[in-house]
Amino acid sequence: MNLSISIPKIWLGWARGQFDKIATEKGLLILSAVLAIAATTYSYLHGYVVAYGDAESHLNIAKRVVDSLTPGFAQLGGIWLPLPHMLLVPFVKFDFLWRSGLAGSIVSGTAFIISSLYLYKLAKLITKNIPASFVAALIFMLNPNILYLQSTPMSELTLIVFSILSIYFFVRFLYDDREITSLILAAAFGFAAALSRYDGWLLILIEAGVLILYYLPWKELPKRISEVRKKWSRIEWHKLEGRVILFATLAFFSIFLWLIWDGLILGDPLYFTHSQFSAKSQQQAWLERGQLPAYQNLPVAFLYYFVTSMSNIGVVVFLISLLAFLVLLRDKKTTHRFYILLLLLFPFIFNVGTLYLGQSVIFIPHLTPTTFDWTLFNVRYGLMMVPFAAILVAYLFYRSKIAGKILIGGLLFLQIGLFMSGYSKVISMADGVEGLSSAISKLPDAQVYLRDNYDGGLVLTDDFARTISIIRTPIPMESTIYVGNKPYWEESLEAPEKYATWIVMQKDDEIWRNIYEQPGPNGRLFKYFVKVYTSPEILIFKRNPDVPAG
Amino acid sequence: MRNTIAILFIVLIGSAFYLLTLRGIAGNPSPSAFKNNLDQATKPFELSPERGRYAQIMALGDSGTYELSQELADIVYPDVGYYQGKFFSFFAPGISYMALPLYLLGKQYDLAQITTFSFIPLVGILALLFLFKIAREILKLPLWASLTSVIVFAFGSTAWSYAITLYQHLPSVFFIVSSFYAVWRYKAAAPWGWLWGAYVWLAYGLAIFIDYPNALLMLPVIIYFFVASLHTRKEQNKIVFSLRGAFLATAIVFIGIASLHLYHNDYYFGSWKVLSGSLPSYRSIQEAGGELSQPLERKNVAGYFLEEKSPFGFYTLTVAPDRGLFLYTPIFLLSLFGIFAIRKKINLEYATLLGLAGVNFFLYSSWGDPWGGWAYGPRYLIPSMAILSLFIGVWLSRDENSFLRKISTYLLFLYSSAIALLGALTTNAVPPKIEADYLHTKYNFLFNYDFLKDDKSGSFIYNTYFSNSLTLQEYFAILYLTLILIAAAILFVLPRVKYLKYES
Repeated sequence: MNLSISIPKIWLGWARGQFDKIATEKGLLILSAVLAIAATTYSYLHGYVVAYGDAESHLNIAKRVVDSLTPGFAQLGGIWLPLPHMLLVPFVKFDFLWRSGLAGSIVSGTAFIISSLYLYKLAKLITKNIPASFVAALIFMLNPNILYLQSTPMSELTLIVFSILSIYFFVRFLYDDREITSLILAAAFGFAAALSRYDGWLLILIEAGVLILYYLPWKELPKRISEVRKKWSRIEWHKLEGRVILFATLAFFSIFLWLIWDGLILGDPLYFTHSQFSAKSQQQAWLERGQLPAYQNLPVAFLYYFVTSMSNIGVVVFLISLLAFLVLLRDKKTTHRFYILLLLLFPFIFNVGTLYLGQSVIFIPHLTPTTFDWTLFNVRYGLMMVPFAAILVAYLFYRSKIAGKILIGGLLFLQIGLFMSGYSKVISMADGVEGLSSAISKLPDAQVYLRDNYDGGLVLTDDFARTISIIRTPIPMESTIYVGNKPYWEESLEAPEKYATWIVMQKDDEIWRNIYEQPGPNGRLFKYFVKVYTSPEILIFKRNPDVPAG
Repeated sequence: MRNTIAILFIVLIGSAFYLLTLRGIAGNPSPSAFKNNLDQATKPFELSPERGRYAQIMALGDSGTYELSQELADIVYPDVGYYQGKFFSFFAPGISYMALPLYLLGKQYDLAQITTFSFIPLVGILALLFLFKIAREILKLPLWASLTSVIVFAFGSTAWSYAITLYQHLPSVFFIVSSFYAVWRYKAAAPWGWLWGAYVWLAYGLAIFIDYPNALLMLPVIIYFFVASLHTRKEQNKIVFSLRGAFLATAIVFIGIASLHLYHNDYYFGSWKVLSGSLPSYRSIQEAGGELSQPLERKNVAGYFLEEKSPFGFYTLTVAPDRGLFLYTPIFLLSLFGIFAIRKKINLEYATLLGLAGVNFFLYSSWGDPWGGWAYGPRYLIPSMAILSLFIGVWLSRDENSFLRKISTYLLFLYSSAIALLGALTTNAVPPKIEADYLHTKYNFLFNYDFLKDDKSGSFIYNTYFSNSLTLQEYFAILYLTLILIAAAILFVLPRVKYLKYES
C-alpha cells in the first residue's frame, strides 16, 4: 500500500509560471527591495543601524560636507575613500536621516538591490541558466550578514555593488571583446569601486592584468623574448595596447585622483598609508601588544581570512562553493573560468595581503586566542566573499542533475537553519553589537549627561577618539569643533575659551594631551570652564558665563 | 559459502581480540569499591562515562529505579544531574537499560562488571558483521577488501578502545550501519521489506535512547530511507509521487520507542522535554558547599554546538597531537583516496555514507569539547571510522592487483593497529594536551606507552590469567603479531587464493 499524491502538470506549469515571474529582473528588484526594507526595519527597531563605531563616523564625515563650522568637500578627509560619503551627502542633510543612520540604509540598501540584480545577471552570463542565476541572487539576498550590513551606513555594500558591476561588464567584454562599451563601463564602475574602499584598487589592477593575459597568444608562446613582437600579430598587439589604455586610463584615474587629493588637502599624497589615522598606525598598537597574529605570517593570514569568509558566507554555503570552485577549475567548457575566478577572488587576495602586511587586523572567535583583549573585530571584511560564493554555488547548481539540485536546495535551507538556530552567529552584526567594532556596547555615561544637559553652544571634542556619539545627543553638527575645523580646532587647543562652550575630553585623546596636560591651556581651562562631569576616563567642562574672555 | 566462512571468521576474531582486551575485574563491585580504587587509570571505571552508566545499571538492577542513591551519585560525580532531591547520570539512559540483563546475569556468578561490559563488544561484533555485509552486498567489494575494511575498523582504529568498555560509541555504530543496511534491503523490495523498514525506525529510536546526538548523526540514513520510499512517475497529465506505505506505517515503531523515552524523561526528570544531559548539575551544589542559594537552571545542551568552535574542533579531531585521527590512525588517509575514486559514481548509497561521515565531522567539530574529555583518540569520530574503513576497501578494490596499494595499506595498518592495541590494553584516561601541559604529563599514546612498560593493563584476561607469566609487552606482542599475520593473510594471501581459483 502506497501513499500517492498526484500533481497535475497544469499545477507545475502554474508554479513554473510563478517562478518565471519572480526570477525576472523586475521580480528580483521587488524581492530584494522587500528584503532590504524588512532588514532595515529590524535593525532600526533594535537600534542596530548605527551599532558600529565606523557607521557614525561615515555619517558624520558626510554630514560635515554640508553642515559644519567649515563645510565643504575638504571634510571628506584623506584616510577613508570618499565615494561612500559623497553618496551619503544628499541624505544626511536631513537631520533625522543622519541621526537615525537611515541615510546610510538608503545608500547601502540601494547598493544591495543593484548588487542582487547584477549578481543574477553575472550568473546568467556565466551559466546561461535562469534558475541557477536566481540561486546566486538568493544566496546573496538571504545572507543575514549582508542583510544587516545593507541596513547600515558602512561602506561594504558600496564596494560590493561597484565591484559586481565592474566584474559583470568586464566578463561581458571577455565573452565578446567587440563590446567596447562593456569595457568602458567595467572601467567606470572599477573607478567607483576604487574610490569606495581600497579593496577596489586591487580589483582594477586584476582587471587590467586579466586584460593583458586575455590578449596574450598563449597557444603560440615564443621561446625567446625577442620573438614576442614577431610572433604576435600586429592586430592583437594593438588590441592589447588600446584596450588596456582605455581601461586603465579611466579605472586608474581614481587612484590618481585620490593621491592628488591627499597631496592638495593634506600635503602628502600617501597620507592615507602612514598618517596617525591610517590603518597601519592603528595596527601598530596591536603589534606592540603581540596581538597581530597574521602579520608577516602568510598561512595565518590565509587562515584568518578563510575562516572569516566562511563565517560570513555561512559554513555550508562556503563548503559548497569550495566544491564548486574545484569543479569549475576542471570545467573546460566554461570559457575564461580562470579569469572569472581571479576576479571573484580579489577580496581574498586583498585581505590576505593586508593582513600579512599588517595593514589590517581581524579578530574572530574561531581562531583568536581568548587571551587577546578582544576576539571579535573587523570580521565584516569577510562579507566581500559572499558574491564569490553566490556565483560558485549557482554554477554548481547549474551543473548538477536533479538530485544534486535538490541536495543543494536542502543544504541552503540547512544553512538558514544554522543561522536561525544560533549555531552560526550573524558575525558581522555581532561585531557591531558586541565586538570591538561596536559603538553601542561602549556608550559612556557621559553620553547620557550630554544628551540631558546640552543647552547650546559649540562643543570641542576629539572625533577620532570617539569620546561621545554626536548623533545620540542633541548637538547639531555645525556646533562641534573637531580636528577638521580649521582654524577653530588649532586655536581652541591654545585658547579653549575662544569658541567652545563645552569641552569633552577623554584620557589621552588630543584635547586631553593638548589642554589638560599642558600647563598654559590647563590654566585657561580651569579659569574659564567649570568641570560639570567627571568619570575615570571622560571629563566634561562647561564655559563659566561669569568669567568673560580676556 | 565463502561469505558464511567470512562471517564466522569475523565473529571468531572479534570475540577473541575483544575478549582478550576486555576491561574488567572479577566480582560484583560495590559502590564503596569505586573511589580511589576502581576509578583509577586502567581500572574498569577509570572515567565518568563508564561509571555513570554502570551506576545507573546498579540502581536499576539493585533498587529497581533509575534514581541514583547519594552513594552512587558520588561515584558518578561530576557528571551528575539533580532534580527535586534526586540524582541522575548525565548520560543518555539507553546503554544502562540495554546492558541491564547482562548485569543481572553476571551478578549471579559474581561477574557483574565483566558481563555488563561484554554487552559492548557483543554489539560491536554485530556492527562488524553489518560492515562486512555492506562492503560485500552494497558496495560489491571483493571478499578480501571487505574483510580489510572490517579489520581496519575493528583493530586498526581507536574504536577498539571503546569496544571493550561501557561507552555508547560501538552501539551507535551498530545502529547506524545496521539501519543503513536495512534501508538498502528495504529498497530492494524484499518480500519482508516492511520488516526492514520497521527495523530502521527501531534502530533510530534506540540510537537516540543511547546517545542524543544520534538523532542528527543518523539523519542521512533516515533521508536515505525516505528517498528509497519515494517514487515518482510521469503520467499524461500529472506527476505522481508515491510514498511506500511501509515508511509511514513502520514509523509506529519509532513513535513507540520515542514515547517510552519521553515517558522516562517525564517520570524521572519532571518533563518529557528534559534530557538527562540538560539537568542542573550536582556539581554546582557541591561547589556551593551543599547549599543552594537559588534554583538551579537547566543547561541548554544544543548551545554546546557552535560554528565558532569548528576550526579548532576540526583540527583537534583530525591532526592535533593529542587526539588527531590521522595521527592515531593514519590508515584512514587511504579512505580519502577511496572517496576520490568514487567521485563520479556517487549513487544514493555512497551519498548516504558520505553524509554520515560528513554529519559526524561537522557536528563534533563544533562541539565544545572535541577531545571527548580524557580519552584515547578522537572517540567522537568512531562512527566515521566505520564509514571511512569502507572507503579503504573501495580504494583497494579499484585495482585488485596493485601491490603498492596493498603494501601501503599494510604498512599503515601496522602502525594504526599497534596504536589501537596499545590503547585497548592500557587506558582511555589520556588527558588532552591543554590539561597534560598543566599536569606536566604526556598527552597521547606516548602516555599509554608508559603503562605498557609498567605492566599496567586494563585487560581482564591479562590481569587475571597472564600477568604472572607474561609481561604486558609480551602479551601485547603476541596479540599484535597474531593480528598483523591475519591482516597479511587477508591482504596478500586471500586475493591470491581467489586468483588461483579462477585460474584453475
